[in-house]
Amino acid sequence: MTNNWMKRQRLLGYIFIGPSMLGVLLFFLIPALYSFGLMFTNYKFMNPNVEFVGLDNIIRLFKDPMFYLSLKNTAVFLLAVPVSIAFGFVVAVVLNQKIYLKKLLRGLYFMPYITSGVAVAFVWMLLFHPTQGPINGLLRSIGFDNPPGWLSTTTSSMFAIDIIWVWFLLGYNMIIYLAALQEVSPELLEAAKIDGAKRGQILRKIIWPLVSPTTFLLLITGLIMTIKTFGIIQAITHGGPGNSTTILSLYVYQNAFRYYDMGYASTLSWALFIVILLITLVQWIGQKRWVHY
Amino acid sequence: MEIKTRLSSDVPKRLGLTLLMLLLAVVMVIPFLWMISTSLKTPAQVFEYPIKWIPANPTWEHHVKVWTGPKSFGVYYWNSLKISIIGMVGATFLSAFAAYGFARIQFKGRNALFMLYLSMMMVPPQVLFVPKFLMFEWAGIYNTHLALILPGLFTIFGVFMLRQFFLSIPNEITESAFIDGAGHFRIFFRLILPLAKPALATLAIIDFSWQWNDYENALVFLIDEKLYTVPLGLQNFILENTVDYNGMMAAASAGILPMIAVFAIGQRYIIQGLTNSAVKG
Repeated sequence: MTNNWMKRQRLLGYIFIGPSMLGVLLFFLIPALYSFGLMFTNYKFMNPNVEFVGLDNIIRLFKDPMFYLSLKNTAVFLLAVPVSIAFGFVVAVVLNQKIYLKKLLRGLYFMPYITSGVAVAFVWMLLFHPTQGPINGLLRSIGFDNPPGWLSTTTSSMFAIDIIWVWFLLGYNMIIYLAALQEVSPELLEAAKIDGAKRGQILRKIIWPLVSPTTFLLLITGLIMTIKTFGIIQAITHGGPGNSTTILSLYVYQNAFRYYDMGYASTLSWALFIVILLITLVQWIGQKRWVHY
Repeated sequence: MEIKTRLSSDVPKRLGLTLLMLLLAVVMVIPFLWMISTSLKTPAQVFEYPIKWIPANPTWEHHVKVWTGPKSFGVYYWNSLKISIIGMVGATFLSAFAAYGFARIQFKGRNALFMLYLSMMMVPPQVLFVPKFLMFEWAGIYNTHLALILPGLFTIFGVFMLRQFFLSIPNEITESAFIDGAGHFRIFFRLILPLAKPALATLAIIDFSWQWNDYENALVFLIDEKLYTVPLGLQNFILENTVDYNGMMAAASAGILPMIAVFAIGQRYIIQGLTNSAVKG
């Protein structure tokens, strides 16, 4: 009887999970294993000569200056995440005060996150236009005679992308902080006020530590999400000028679909996976250690 | 009495903060305002400085250009809508099924399967592009909408989100139904799904916005212009009209406005869903 019941439960479990499981197998697990195998071949698309090359691709990766440059560009891109978290925190703290139009304001700050795709990237491309764009127009009018070239020079392009990314992520960080601030007990803040704590002190010594799990979570999820992104960069700079905005995820794409070098592209993509794995490990360790509840 | 005096002393401060935040919020939405404003201008007015936010003689010709002619956005819209809606409906239902299995049915191997889902979340899409490209090529669905629709039916995030929600439904609600002899199917369709409507709406809206904005998959899996989705069509328009800034902004408006509409309607659900999955997930 119980044995029968258990069998039935198991069957039902498979029936419910089955369709989704099929998708996970077909579009996640099998491709992931396939990609892992490709890493050890010299497979080029449409080229019938496929050979097992052992660790050649991995050796090539360690000797590839573009790989290191793409890592560096990725690191600069990732700087946008903590900056955006800081802005998101400030906006959330202010919106959590007694303030009018709270819902409207929240919506406006959040809008870039939800509406943005490639379309907005193109808008930024024009806003950043070095000679005629409105941003440099504004800078010149307030006295900067040599405003930056933004997306058009190798030294500034990655930072221009960072500005777009800070703008994009800010609303998400704000929303999550707003929810976290709801959990901070008003009695605690009231008690601190009665004890004579100043606003800045309350913010630094009470609120900031209390929302530290949220900060940590936003940092980890933000880093992982950012590292996987290449759409807006591919759309507006194609990784240029030069290779100044070629981040690792874009470099994978270029190797795969511009040079059709599938073996090497797979190797690069697993390097990307390892970076994500490291961030996740930091998360597992950090959750226990650095977060003050 | 005391409340009243406190309120009145708060008003100037509240107004000040509100104004400050409103000012900053305008900075946040300036790209959208500039886009719409520019789409209604003539080429000569585009980079006029100081910026005239409301053009003297607004013109609709750029919007007309985007929506008519041989490369009308109508085609891209149809493609995007088809892919996003099928994906959204499919992904929401399949996720709900799987989430129920993970949350409510006890069976051997469940935790191992769940771990598999967890680990697949860590695999970046870049790892999957090449093998999917080769598999789709082999299966004959490369450069067809199926290459976007089929994978779009599955979202691991959705399974997680709904599982979390189903776990939060008290067991007592389903227990009495069990005692009355109802099976899992009846409980799922009659009890759980109606209770989960807000969560399903949240997932549907978020998934729709992902699919609508998805540029990277379309870039990898589509080459025929007539199959293009809105992000690809937009890119194409911009590559072909490199100096037509007004047209570019009219095209960008066409790409963004549906998302603004979805956002305005579904804001509550989107915010709820994102916070729940982040804070409690």
